[in-house]
Amino acid sequence: MIRTLLYVLGGIFLGGIIHIAVVLLIPDFANRDAWTSMGRFGPDGAFHILPMSEPGTEPLPYLDPRLAHAACRFSLDDGPIRIKAAMPDEFWSLAVFDRRGSNVYSLNDRTAERTDIDLVLATSLQLTKLRENPVEALDQSIVIEIPATRGFVLIRAFVTDSADTNRVNTALKAAQCSAPLETAPAPPQPAQP
Amino acid sequence: MRLLIDLAIAIAVAALVGFGSAVLVLDRDSLFGAVSRGPWTAWPDSGSPDADPYSKAILARSGEVPLGAGEGIAFLADHDSTGSRLSGRCTYEVTGQTPPARLWTLTVYDGDGQLMRNPIGRTEFASREILRREDGSFAITLSPDVVPGNWLPVDRDANLRLVLRLYDTPLTSSGVGDAVLPAIMRGSCR
Repeated sequence: MIRTLLYVLGGIFLGGIIHIAVVLLIPDFANRDAWTSMGRFGPDGAFHILPMSEPGTEPLPYLDPRLAHAACRFSLDDGPIRIKAAMPDEFWSLAVFDRRGSNVYSLNDRTAERTDIDLVLATSLQLTKLRENPVEALDQSIVIEIPATRGFVLIRAFVTDSADTNRVNTALKAAQCSAPLETAPAPPQPAQP
Repeated sequence: MRLLIDLAIAIAVAALVGFGSAVLVLDRDSLFGAVSRGPWTAWPDSGSPDADPYSKAILARSGEVPLGAGEGIAFLADHDSTGSRLSGRCTYEVTGQTPPARLWTLTVYDGDGQLMRNPIGRTEFASREILRREDGSFAITLSPDVVPGNWLPVDRDANLRLVLRLYDTPLTSSGVGDAVLPAIMRGSCR
């Protein structure tokens, strides 16, 4: 009897370990997380306009129904990416998340102090290379170090009234998630080791 | 034989305790990092790299994309200012002042977190469009029946969840502190 009780105690202890493992592993294995859900809206590397949230049809849970949203899943495997968008003169905000859904960067139209978005996302290694060989076209860009190679960007833009929807959607539709890093003739890319 | 039975018991207990407790904890709102002011609760760290593992797991399961610190903060309310569960059978008035923010929206969801279904298709108010009193304060009325003023229609059979989203607000940098949020006052029920 006492022996069985010991096994039960051991089981509870093992259960604690399972509990911790499950909680820590869920962000990597969840199949309804934001990153996976965004795959529904179209191919990676481009912005896709999410349908406005209506009762019964919400593209993602708890998105503000008064804001228009555009999402882009990106990968930094092939080099840094540049995000460009000309935004309407109303409230907008942008957030960069890594694959696991952690917010690595966010800004809004007031903190950006301009109405267009020009961001460069790079891993720390790519950032070092960019610093060694600065690209002139990126002088005005905000360069952000991403501690992951995959993630997503979500732009939110306030829609003042239904007549405003088209204007906001046009701006979001023109947003680029993989704009060229440089417009001028490029120095040869260093060979990958 | 005895050993096999004991081992089976141990494994069954481990699986039940391990998975059961994980599901129990993750199916609720996160216990950690919550900041409450009156009936409203926010999770300012939700989605940040500093969030605790439970909040991260809950977020991954829900598929939500939380507001980043540079975007704003969302407050959620399931109860009125006296602590009773928000229900579609009652009329509520959301009234008072909001913390400083360039823009805010108040949205009504049902108890499952889905946007409230209603015949006129209105689920939210934005700060710019509400009718205000002369001193700048406001009242938004939640009711299953038509009321004059800022009316948010609700379904009589549903529980309610209110989400107040403050965009571009100093609360995200300086902390929620002693921010004053609107009261949720219950009116008549039936």
